[in-house]
Amino acid sequence: MDIRKLAIESQISQINDLKETYLKVLEQESKTPNLKFGLGELPLSEQKSNTYEYELLNNLINVKIPRQKNINFPKGIFYKPEKIINLSNNLKYKCTKNLRNSDFKININKNAYTKIFDKFKKKIKSGETYQIKICTKYKTKSKIDPLDFFTRLSKTNLAPEAFMIKDKNYSIISCSPENLINKKGSEISTKPIAGTVKKTKSLNKIKALNYFKKNIKETKEHNMIVDMERNDLSRVCKVGSVKLSKQKIVEEYKDLFHYVSLIKGKLKKNIKNIDIIKAMMPGGSVIGCPKINTLNLLNKQEKENRNIYTGSFGYIKFNGDMRFNIIIRSILNFKNFSEISVASGVVVDSNSSHEFNENFIKAKALIDLFK
Amino acid sequence: MIYIIDHNDSFTYNVVHQFSLYDEVECDNYNAINESKLKKASVIIFSPGPGNPKNYPSSSKIYKKFKGKKKIIGICLGFQQILFCEGAKIVEQKKIYHGFQSNIQVVNNKSLFKKGKKFKVGRYHSLKLKEPFKIRNFEITMRCLESKAAMAFENNKDKIYGFQFHPESFLTINGNLLIKKILSA
Repeated sequence: MDIRKLAIESQISQINDLKETYLKVLEQESKTPNLKFGLGELPLSEQKSNTYEYELLNNLINVKIPRQKNINFPKGIFYKPEKIINLSNNLKYKCTKNLRNSDFKININKNAYTKIFDKFKKKIKSGETYQIKICTKYKTKSKIDPLDFFTRLSKTNLAPEAFMIKDKNYSIISCSPENLINKKGSEISTKPIAGTVKKTKSLNKIKALNYFKKNIKETKEHNMIVDMERNDLSRVCKVGSVKLSKQKIVEEYKDLFHYVSLIKGKLKKNIKNIDIIKAMMPGGSVIGCPKINTLNLLNKQEKENRNIYTGSFGYIKFNGDMRFNIIIRSILNFKNFSEISVASGVVVDSNSSHEFNENFIKAKALIDLFK
Repeated sequence: MIYIIDHNDSFTYNVVHQFSLYDEVECDNYNAINESKLKKASVIIFSPGPGNPKNYPSSSKIYKKFKGKKKIIGICLGFQQILFCEGAKIVEQKKIYHGFQSNIQVVNNKSLFKKGKKFKVGRYHSLKLKEPFKIRNFEITMRCLESKAAMAFENNKDKIYGFQFHPESFLTINGNLLIKKILSA
């Protein structure tokens, strides 16, 4: 399992440099220093596997992030895979050394969260944003074996966009369920998720659909994301080609039901992959709406860098096809610190205490892996 | 040519695609208006967007300059922008409609649409027109059946039209027909 690293942009701070380097990396396929280990979903041989962190994606669309608490995690990472391995759904792995620590600390307590929540609610009333996602972060010092974590995570939650990266000084373990870009030839699609409910004995797929349909808050949030993703696809697609191919359906996962839509389009001629990335990222469902104003509000508020959270991981093949997810439900382990970020939406009829708890439930599934 | 002025919204390109079905469309950000496109355009559209019309003085200036000379259409914030330029007050509303599907009705017999006709439309607005509102040649032509809030105005003399809802939303049924009729007026 040897994957070669194409480039790591760690010391780049200037936006323009960043863009240039980024474009260069997208276009260039040589120069491959060594990398120990990398793993993702890699169905074909000729492709690059990339991680774009949240700040880089902001900079690409000219949204600046003010000074934040920053652990200096790289803004973008590119690997060139060398070997493809097929993973069975039933991964078996025996872990030998793990220094786990489940003593997580949250960066925003309930009081602070409520204050931010109320502030954003006012912004919604005055029309500055229609929906906004507050990010909270759980952190702990720990040394982990990512393959052990990934194996255990895939037993309980085999998400369609899951991935794992293990590198010298960091690792990412993700059970992301959300696809942001799926491009094959001139066809492109995106599959936003807005609405999640936990499976119970009495809640089957049909009942879950009824639950979502009756839940006005979830429905409105979902509608907003659908129109927003239609918009983002329309920036790069032919007129009249953007279609809602699956409207508000329920998808069943091991422990959860998701409320999803599938939007497809046909790309305009002469659209480059960088244009698609700029039009689509960061994914609307994890930011809020409208994108630019909401990003500015978030970036003014959030004191800590989101790092990988709400960035994207995926691959670009040499023929130009690509697939990217949205990095949510993920653990970043960097310099022996683990962080788990979660977010939930403020819309006009949401309740701060409910959303705060919802965040904790989302994080708990990952925190439990540390026990 | 139709010139769409984008107020940094995440729905503007849905508007671009919708109008592109009927004519050539150009779209620029309100911060980066191209004067020659503006001159060339036969129709100017003020896009939806966040915030309040008073945040966009450059759009107000364009409206005042071209009122009566070109067809002007406003959507959501654009609807409010035009009314604001005409002296109306734009205020916060008690119930907020974001991602909401509403039933609305044509309420005025001076409308291009048949009085009494109902539409299902998608809404994304925090603010609304403060009423009573009376300005010469401007008619409120559609209202929400439930809240009675103003949903469309028409000024058929100067060819100025506005929708508080989003004809381009997937929540609006037959939105294309609405646009086609306004464009051919």
